[in-house]
Amino acid sequence: MSQRITIDPITRIEGHLRIDVEVENNTVSNAWASCTMWRGIENILRGRDPRDAWLFTQRFCGVCTTVHAMASVRAVEDALKLEIPLNAQYIRNLILIAHALHDHIVHFYQLSALDWVDVLQIPKADPAATSKLAESLSPWTRNSRNELKAAQDRVNAVASSGQLGIFANGYWGHPAMRLSPDVNLLAFSHYVQALEYQRKALQVVGILGSKTPHIQNLTVGGVANAIDLDNQSALGMEKLELIRTLLTEVTQFVQQVYFIDVCAVAALYPDWFNIGSGVRNYLAVPDLPLDSRGSSYDLPGGYIRGGDLAGVKSFQTASDAVFRQSVTEDVVHAYYEGEKPLHPWAGETQPAFSGWNGEQKYSWVKAPRFNGEPMQVGPLAQVLIGYSQGHPLTRKYADLALEKVAAIGGVRATPAALHSTLGRHAARAIRACMLAELAQKHLQLLTDNIAKGDYTVHNEPVLPSHEVEGVGTHEAPRGTLSHWVVIKNEKIKNYQAVVPSTWNASPRDGKGAHGPYEASLLNTPLAKPEEPLEVLRTVHSFDPCMACACHAFDPSGRKIGIAKIL
Amino acid sequence: MKNALIAGIGNVLLGDDAAGPYVVRLLEALYKFGNNVEIADLGTPALDLTHRISGLNTVILVDSVASHDDPPGTVLLYAKSDIVGEGPSERLDPHSPALSECLMAAEMLGFSPENVLLVGIVGERYEPGEPLSSAVQQSIGAAIDAILQELEQHGFEFEKRALPIEPGIWWCDADFASIASC
Repeated sequence: MSQRITIDPITRIEGHLRIDVEVENNTVSNAWASCTMWRGIENILRGRDPRDAWLFTQRFCGVCTTVHAMASVRAVEDALKLEIPLNAQYIRNLILIAHALHDHIVHFYQLSALDWVDVLQIPKADPAATSKLAESLSPWTRNSRNELKAAQDRVNAVASSGQLGIFANGYWGHPAMRLSPDVNLLAFSHYVQALEYQRKALQVVGILGSKTPHIQNLTVGGVANAIDLDNQSALGMEKLELIRTLLTEVTQFVQQVYFIDVCAVAALYPDWFNIGSGVRNYLAVPDLPLDSRGSSYDLPGGYIRGGDLAGVKSFQTASDAVFRQSVTEDVVHAYYEGEKPLHPWAGETQPAFSGWNGEQKYSWVKAPRFNGEPMQVGPLAQVLIGYSQGHPLTRKYADLALEKVAAIGGVRATPAALHSTLGRHAARAIRACMLAELAQKHLQLLTDNIAKGDYTVHNEPVLPSHEVEGVGTHEAPRGTLSHWVVIKNEKIKNYQAVVPSTWNASPRDGKGAHGPYEASLLNTPLAKPEEPLEVLRTVHSFDPCMACACHAFDPSGRKIGIAKIL
Repeated sequence: MKNALIAGIGNVLLGDDAAGPYVVRLLEALYKFGNNVEIADLGTPALDLTHRISGLNTVILVDSVASHDDPPGTVLLYAKSDIVGEGPSERLDPHSPALSECLMAAEMLGFSPENVLLVGIVGERYEPGEPLSSAVQQSIGAAIDAILQELEQHGFEFEKRALPIEPGIWWCDADFASIASC
């Protein structure tokens, strides 16, 4: 007999994601991913000045603010064929890297680690033994007995209070939790430390972007940062040094803590290399441009079909002709009007809500397709595409991860094992190590370019009166983000954002093909279907972010007063 | 020195969800504060709110709230215990989990702010691109009064500007006549 489980909402950060699974014999037999809230903020942009669009798109999502700002200015620049000064490219790249590092650390420690780490085992840990274990894994200097004891005391305080506070929602004691008390303690102490390092990464965004969470320094054609070596309030050596210090600390945390923790979790849950694969078509665009035209990049892009790593195809630029031509959105199972898949430049976002019906329409997320096929995006796509192309930096950290997993767990992990739930976590940690290394490189490129006397940060955009189209892409923390703009008479005629979570959380398309979340859940074994921890593990491995909309805070506590309306 | 954060929470593109950012931007346009008071439009910061509130003396958050009992535009005040009392929420939307989870995280880490007040404005419509509903618009003054009262209670100084400055409400064509009336 089959039973139906609905998880609504599923993410720890952004609500509005609903997952329905059918379970037969303790195994997932069917799955639906849906977004429960209408998106369509793009419609606000029609008729506006394209140079202002980034201010609005930055508000699409409260978590991924900068990425939508960046994709927007890139879309308009692509439409105007506008080149970007080198300083502006480097400054943008540094912001994007710092944001991504922050995001990856938050994702692992705050949003998904507790799917694997059983907090309530921590009181049983031995801090001295844990410290010894930690020293065998990493040179990190903050794994001392005292530091670990302090972390254990925090958990003891929460556990002994009788109220679990922030830990009230976990599946503690679940049979799928398998780490020893010591490993649980080690991971938890890093969860606490992670808060410091994610803040340092944000500080870099704040210094360059002048504010967080909403950066202020972008402009179509470049950036608005004033560069002046002698003025402390401008971007000069003092600020560059501060950024270097912060990035160095974040880099150490990423490479000596985050990366190692992910490898350890992977080594201790090796069966999860065989679970959660799903859609094996992968898509990533090149990013971190190295010249003003955007013709060479530090991170490669391309696509893979059906898990055929040897058959990987490359994109030459971030708005590659193949990419431009091949993206469509299908609404057969989404609550919108329309029949045929549409290219984003011709895209429509007309709501037609009809209630959840798994056979018909069931999501507010459209189904983006590449050459008619669902694609998985995100760090796993980025890493597999880079690895298959022989990209040296990707190979360096991917090989290191596989070696580390083998050393800790005695399991042989091959690149093919990355098509999995654990593979998504491993790939994110691999990508974070790559980005941390590139952060130092781009900071040096910026510093050197300024030292040469180049202070240019902006090229003035000229809006044509005839109709032009552009696409701006960014390989964001959750994967390929693309903004598509049509400009006519100096105003926005159409605007569509195809966001990473739309690719991954996509519903079925007109041909019945599952989206990546859905496909990844099929055949997942559940130890206790009434506590579907395994479903959460796989969905969280994608780093879901359904900021399609937001609603009001609804505290269930009591009101302490009502202020009178004047 | 004691310090305070007054933060507007909400998505400015979604009708009444802009109430928080709107109120704090207006507050800044109308009043002058000491260097120990930070005013910020934080959008929907999710878990990054933890960094913003950690270690502060006083945190005042302004957000739109849902209510079954009170009509749109009602200003409801919530204390820290109201927000964290029931444990982590069902995570129904982008920022409500953040309010409770961030406060709980700060508490666990020993950095919880001493005073926390949530000034909630009951919203009516959350449609993309819509301005504030008139009910919410009319409650702005009451929300500002609630903020000022909280600041006063904890000994923070402020003074009304002789001439309001531009409030920077860039996302809509704000009706500045309403500012003068606050």
